[in-house]
Amino acid sequence: MATFDFLLQGLLVAAQPMNLLYALIGVTLGTAVGVLPGIGPALTVALLLPVTYRLDPGGSLIMFAGIYYGGMYGGSTTSILLNTPGESASIVTALEGNKMARAGRGGPALATAAIGSFVAGLIATLGLAFIAPYIVKLALVFGPREYFALMVLAFVTVSSAFGDSTLRGLTSLFVGLALAVVGIDQLTGQARLSFGVPELLDGIEVTTLAVAMFAIGETLFIAAQGDKGPDKVEAVRGSVWMSAADWARSWKAWLRGTVIGFPIGAMPAGGAEIGTFLSYATEKRLTKHPEEFGNGAIEGVAGPEAANNASAAGTLVPLLTLGLPTTATAAIMLAGFQQYGLQPGPLLFATNPQLVWGLIASLLIANFMLLVLNLPLIGLWVKLLTIPKPWLYAGILLFATLGTIGANPSVYELGMLLAFGLLGYAMRVFGYPIAPVVVGLILGPLAEQQLRRALSISQGDITVLFTSPIAAVLLVIAAAALIVPLILRARGRGEVLAQLAASED
Amino acid sequence: MKHFFLATILAGAMALPAFAADYTIIAPANPGGGWDQTARSLQTVMQQEGISGNVQVQNVPGAGGTIGLAQFASQQKGNPNALIVGGYVMVGAILTNKSPVTLKDVTPIARLTGEYEAVVVPAASEIKTMGDLVEALKKDPGAVSWAGGSAGGTDHIAVGLIAKAAGVDPTKINYIAYSGGGEALAAILGSQVTAGVSGYGEFESQIKAGTLRLLAVSGPERIAGVDAPTLKEAGVDVVVENWRMVAAAPGLTDEQKAAVSADIEKLAKSAGWQEVLKTKGWQDSYLAGDAFNAQLEKDVAATEGVLKDIGLVK
Amino acid sequence: MTKGHHPSTPTRRPDRAALFIAAVLAAIAGLIFWDVSRLTGTAGYSQVGPTTVPYAIAWCLLGLSIWTVFEALRGDFPERERQEVAPVIWIVAGLAAQMLLLNVAGFSIATGILFALTARGFGKRRLWLSLPVGIVLCFVVWVVFAKLLQLSLPAGPLERLFF
Repeated sequence: MATFDFLLQGLLVAAQPMNLLYALIGVTLGTAVGVLPGIGPALTVALLLPVTYRLDPGGSLIMFAGIYYGGMYGGSTTSILLNTPGESASIVTALEGNKMARAGRGGPALATAAIGSFVAGLIATLGLAFIAPYIVKLALVFGPREYFALMVLAFVTVSSAFGDSTLRGLTSLFVGLALAVVGIDQLTGQARLSFGVPELLDGIEVTTLAVAMFAIGETLFIAAQGDKGPDKVEAVRGSVWMSAADWARSWKAWLRGTVIGFPIGAMPAGGAEIGTFLSYATEKRLTKHPEEFGNGAIEGVAGPEAANNASAAGTLVPLLTLGLPTTATAAIMLAGFQQYGLQPGPLLFATNPQLVWGLIASLLIANFMLLVLNLPLIGLWVKLLTIPKPWLYAGILLFATLGTIGANPSVYELGMLLAFGLLGYAMRVFGYPIAPVVVGLILGPLAEQQLRRALSISQGDITVLFTSPIAAVLLVIAAAALIVPLILRARGRGEVLAQLAASED
Repeated sequence: MKHFFLATILAGAMALPAFAADYTIIAPANPGGGWDQTARSLQTVMQQEGISGNVQVQNVPGAGGTIGLAQFASQQKGNPNALIVGGYVMVGAILTNKSPVTLKDVTPIARLTGEYEAVVVPAASEIKTMGDLVEALKKDPGAVSWAGGSAGGTDHIAVGLIAKAAGVDPTKINYIAYSGGGEALAAILGSQVTAGVSGYGEFESQIKAGTLRLLAVSGPERIAGVDAPTLKEAGVDVVVENWRMVAAAPGLTDEQKAAVSADIEKLAKSAGWQEVLKTKGWQDSYLAGDAFNAQLEKDVAATEGVLKDIGLVK
Repeated sequence: MTKGHHPSTPTRRPDRAALFIAAVLAAIAGLIFWDVSRLTGTAGYSQVGPTTVPYAIAWCLLGLSIWTVFEALRGDFPERERQEVAPVIWIVAGLAAQMLLLNVAGFSIATGILFALTARGFGKRRLWLSLPVGIVLCFVVWVVFAKLLQLSLPAGPLERLFF
């Protein structure tokens, strides 16, 4: 089979010692920059792309793949250890991961994230190689109404990140939705809630909000505890490595995360975040240890991390098969591909098989190097927590503001960082969950635009929202996710849920 | 408005004193977009052709380029070494965002590149020609949904002009705005909409692969090697060009302006620039001096007219 | 400092902070109503226009505000830990200083001040030590990111001294 020949050939080239070294350098650089809060994979790739130009085409493609995967993975480390997600796709990781790290289980959390990323990256890259043409057909079937149904499902699952109070969870979500309205309305070009301030016309940057709410809010909150808390957390309790039980609980979550993340990443308006939300909600529903959710459940790290990486590979499906860059990262990658003479589009697989398979082989190798680099480093990362608090948090603020300044060196952006940081602090004080705010900011505009597009195309006919089979199925799942817990509770099997609700931070 | 002036004064007060760079080019958009690419290509060619020893590119993104434009007009006043990249989209954005700073507040130097719009339908569509599409539009404007870039942008303006030329009320067009060409392309390929309008480059590979049918292009003449009529040939009297330009700071003396114009002319005629145009697939639409100013005024007036027709500007 | 043992207020008393939150939520809702009412509701072919969703959000916020009032009156809000105000002020001052000085003094000095003031907030009182440490650290970071990786970080007098 020609496909396999090309892949084998690509792997042989990529596995040469020099190319392995390039992959390692790429992964290291990508992780180092991606680890900064506020600098997501898009900026990481954009910054480091010029580094690869100096190499021969094969070597630079491999280093590029390494940077991409390194940047993707870097965000989860700070999420888990410091509760400061580097980008929006690793917000969910912070929910359980940071609880684990505080309980001295940072090692297993980082390990399940690294191995889960590897497993998901491996499966999704193979999926990209062999089923991309089918996946892309499915992705194109998704029109505005299907996306709207998907958003409804995503909104329903957000409730799993609400914490212990429905009122406060909903309040957080609606604050996020209100912030999402700020800026130019994409469908009519009218400015909403911007009060004549030109800097507000483009809306509120998700990364700015996430970094402010998590990194700055968290720092203020910890500082305001004064001397009450211990000066440092216990970095390691038990083994740094995953136990047999951790493995047993993680592997299914990895696979489920991959299955959820890959197709959603492939959808032109899917994005990495929605996959992580859905994966987290799925794990929370299916777990045998519901009491641990909210207190550091390993499935809650394993699933979303796998979904995140699988959707990263999924993004490449429309990029390579249609020439469609669906995310900022993909748009920058497109510029990178063109540098190597790769012209993504429907004819790419036919006209340029060596390059495509070379890229896929590079991704597989880079994915492997990511694991090689990160597993031994876990011990070192965990030591971060032993840095005395004043220096640790001063460093966090240094890097958090560095990320924001690097992305957009504007006084306004820093002002927003400060304002939302204070909001994040106040919300922590009063027991409001943080994640729903960011989720609302991400999902709100997507849901609104898709709904309006769907109704505009149908000229106002609401029934179209339910008449497509995919949309109907998604809406039924969403309804079930809302109603089933209520039925379970009514039948007296609600102790688990009650316990869940009672388990507090 | 008060916030705005405060902001520009604040930003102006904090501006870095420009150090010894020969030119600083403001790209009023995020890295990766068309204006950013234009600015970075200018940077490369100017250094490579020895027009300028040291060129810096600075991104000031936001609101269709109007934030960068406002900052440029206030901070660089009288600075003969500052340039800004802009284009047709900025003309529309100034009007829809009611920007207090317009192209009159800077010194336009020359139009550099251009791209024509393409009207496409999915390959499986029953619409075979531009005539069919106009027919459908006349019958029921609401039933023809158009996918394209953001509201008030070049794509939206093109659809408004097509409707007007076809004798259909432009406020009745069913335009579905997407955040970028990519998302719109997916909607067209998935047959979610009737037709799509965007820059020819966005659709090129799909047209060649036969998954999209090209109905017409918006230039005054056919694109070489592309088998599709112009809108005019198809009976719709519309010419739209998404051009990009370079402008200098306000308050320059005539000598300073002439010096900048000479540098830009040298650039536009250089072999390096022609090479860039070829690899990026941009049309050379170099136009400078009074001819450019006259064209600019005409474009601004026409754009204002069509945006009023669509109902985006009151 | 009382550790872990804070004055437990009788739960039945209305929670004033929670009432304040309710007022803020209502104010946000009012702000949305006021701003969106100026928009022209050109919905085109969709009956959901640019104003529909903001109005819905505003109504929901208003509902949540009323719900918050009820919980505040019933004393349903969780008890709050006592917060130290001074550290928060130190850190906010650091962030504000960085924001205002960034373009004047450059990245290293502005961020070095943030670094030192944050450490001060966490109890490191010796500013004469932490300030130079912070500035040197930030300068190293600036060299790595601005010079090696081409990130656009504002340069100030210190940076221009070397580059």
